[in-house]
Amino acid sequence: MSEQVAVEVDSVTKEFGVIKALNGVTLRVRRGEIYGLLGPNGAGKTTLIRSIVGLIAPNSGTVTVLGRKLPNLDVLREVGYMTQQAALYPGLSVEENVSFFAAIYGVEGGVKDALEFVDLYTRRGSVVATLSGGMRQRCSLACALVHRPRLLLLDEPTVGVDPQLRVELWEQFRRMAADGTTIIVSSHVMDEAERCQRLGLIQYGRLLAEGSPSEVRSQAGTQNLEEAFLKLAGEKKES
Amino acid sequence: MSGHRIAAITRRLLQGFRRDRRTLALLFVAPLVILGLLGYMLRNSATPAVGVVNEDSGPLGAVVASALDGSTKITTTNIAASDGDAKLKDGSIVAYIVFPSDFTQGAQGGVIAPQVHLEGSQPNAAAQALQALQSALATSASNRPGAVRVQPEVTYLYGGPNLDTLDYFGAAAIGLIVFFLVFVVTIVSFLNERSQGTLERLMASPLRRGEIVIGYMIGFTVLALVQSVEVLLFALYVLNVHNAGNVFLIFGIEALMAITAVNLGIFLSMFARTEFQAVQFIPLVIVPQFLLSGILFPVSSEPTWLQYLSNVLPLTYAVNALRDVMVKGADLTWSSLQLDVGVVAAFVLLFIVAGTATLRRRVG
Ligand SMILES: Nc1ncnc2c1ncn2[C@@H]1O[C@H](COP(=O)(O)OP(=O)(O)OP(=O)(O)O)[C@@H](O)[C@H]1O
Ligand SMILES: [Mg+2]
Repeated sequence: MSEQVAVEVDSVTKEFGVIKALNGVTLRVRRGEIYGLLGPNGAGKTTLIRSIVGLIAPNSGTVTVLGRKLPNLDVLREVGYMTQQAALYPGLSVEENVSFFAAIYGVEGGVKDALEFVDLYTRRGSVVATLSGGMRQRCSLACALVHRPRLLLLDEPTVGVDPQLRVELWEQFRRMAADGTTIIVSSHVMDEAERCQRLGLIQYGRLLAEGSPSEVRSQAGTQNLEEAFLKLAGEKKES
Repeated sequence: MSGHRIAAITRRLLQGFRRDRRTLALLFVAPLVILGLLGYMLRNSATPAVGVVNEDSGPLGAVVASALDGSTKITTTNIAASDGDAKLKDGSIVAYIVFPSDFTQGAQGGVIAPQVHLEGSQPNAAAQALQALQSALATSASNRPGAVRVQPEVTYLYGGPNLDTLDYFGAAAIGLIVFFLVFVVTIVSFLNERSQGTLERLMASPLRRGEIVIGYMIGFTVLALVQSVEVLLFALYVLNVHNAGNVFLIFGIEALMAITAVNLGIFLSMFARTEFQAVQFIPLVIVPQFLLSGILFPVSSEPTWLQYLSNVLPLTYAVNALRDVMVKGADLTWSSLQLDVGVVAAFVLLFIVAGTATLRRRVG
C-alpha cells in the first residue's frame, strides 16, 4: 500500500443483530487529509470510526491504519480518538484528565499545549463535573490529541462548542493537517463539511458518495452541500 | 394528587423491569437461594462428632456412654484417651469425654466428674457436646440414690473458657468486612469506567487489558490495605478480640482477601451493564458465599453436597485461615494454614486471568 494512504477500509460490514450498521464500506483516507463523514443519525458514522480504532471487529472486511492491518495494539499509539460523548473522569480536574491520557500514551509534555489548543488552560484546575457542556467537549478533545497522534478520529467534536471557538478549532485542525496529521471527522454541520478536503456521505451503513465538497455538489447538481446531501440521500432511499 | 400521574410512575417502573429480566430473576430467585441455603444448613446439619473414652472401673461410665450414644445432638465414637488430642487437632472430633477409672466411685461419693476436652474454636459445637453430656448424666444419675453434684472438668485445646462469641466471630469478621467493602467499591468504580465512556477510550489506546486490570488491582489494594490495618487495630485494641497468633500474619491474610475481592469485583463487573446490576451481585455472590464460608456454621456440619460447594469458594479458606491464626495461634508452619493461604492466593491469580480475559475489546 502506498505511503500516502493513512487509512484503508476495505468492504467492511458490521452487524448488530438484524441491524447492518456498516454494509460493505470501502474508503481510503490520504495522509494529511481532513476527511469528513456525513450522514443522518444511525447512518453508521460512529461504528465506522470505532472500527478504525479497533474497538469493533468487523464481521467481514479489513481495516488498515498507517500501514498496519488491525487488530494491532502498537498502531494505536499513533491514533487519537475523541468519542461522541465526552468521555472523561468527572471527579478529576481538567489538567488531571489530560495528564492521565498523556501518561497512557507514554508522553511527558504536551499537556499545556493541548489545554491551550482548546482554550482551557485557565480552567485547568476545574473539576470536570463542574464544567459546562461545551467545555467538557473541549477537554475531551484535548485528551484525544495530547499525544500528537498521526491519525486523529473525531466523532462530532464541535457539538456544543460556541461558534467563535469552533472557527478557531477548525483553523487549528487545518494547521495540524498541513503538518501531516490525518484527521477523520464526523459532523452534521454543513459549514464544517465545507472545510474538509474530502467528504464521505454515509447512509444505512453504505458510502453513498465521496469526493471534495465541490465534487459532491456537482455530483448532486446542487448549489450547496446541504441540498446535495438531502438529494443524494433521498435518491438512495427511493431506489 | 393525580391518580394518572401516580399510575404513570408505577407503570414506567414495571415497564423497565419487564425488559430487565435479570433484576426480575434476582427478585424471585435470590430469596429462594438464600433461604434454601439457610434452611439446609440449619435443618440438615451434621451433628458434631464427640469421642468417648470409658476408663471407669465401675458400671456408671458405660451407662452414661450409652446414654450419650443415644443423644441426637452429637455423634459419638469410642476412642483411646491417647488419641484424643490428635483427633481434636485434625478436626475429626470437636470434643472428647473421658470417664476416669474412679468415675463410679466418685459418683457414689456424691461427685460426678467426667473430663471434657474441648477443641475450643467452635463454641456452638462445644455447647452441643456439653448439653448432650448434661442430659446423659441426668438420665443415668436419676435412678441413683442421694444427692450428687455434677462437676465436669473442662479443658480447652485452643482458646479457653474466656473466649466469647465475639472472639470467635471477630476473627472471621475482620476479613469479611474488608472483603465485602472492597468488592463493592471495585465493582462500582469499574462500572463507572464503562458507563462514563472512559473504558472505550482506554480500549482505543495502546493499553493492554492486563495493564488495566493490574493497575486497578494495585490502586484498590492500596486503599484496602489501609482499611485492613484500621479494621485490625480496632478489632484487637478497641474490641479486644482474642488473638493467639501473629498480627502480621493476620494482616497478610486480610490483604490477600482484599486482593481477591478487587479481582472478583473487576471480573464480575464484566457481567453487569449498570451499577444497579452490579449491586445485584451482592445477594447472588456475596451472601451465599458468606453463609457457606463457615463463619456462622462450621463447614464440617453442613450437609455433604453443601460442603463440596463450600470447598470451592475462596472465602471458606480465608475465614478458616483467620480463625486458625487468631483462635488457634497457627503460623505458617501449619500445613492447614499453608493450604488455606495457598488456595486464596490461587484464587487471586484465577480472578486476575479471568478478569483480563473477559475485559473484551468490545465496549458497550
Ligand atoms: N453496540 C451496538 N449495539 C446494537 N446496535 C448498535 C450498536 N452500536 C450501533 N448500533 C446501531 O448501528 C447503527 C449505526 O449506529 P452509529 O452509532 O454508527 O450511527 P451514527 O451514524 O454515529 O449516528 P449519530 O449521528 O446519531 O451519532 C444504529 O442503527 C445503531 O442503533
Ligand atoms: Mg455517532
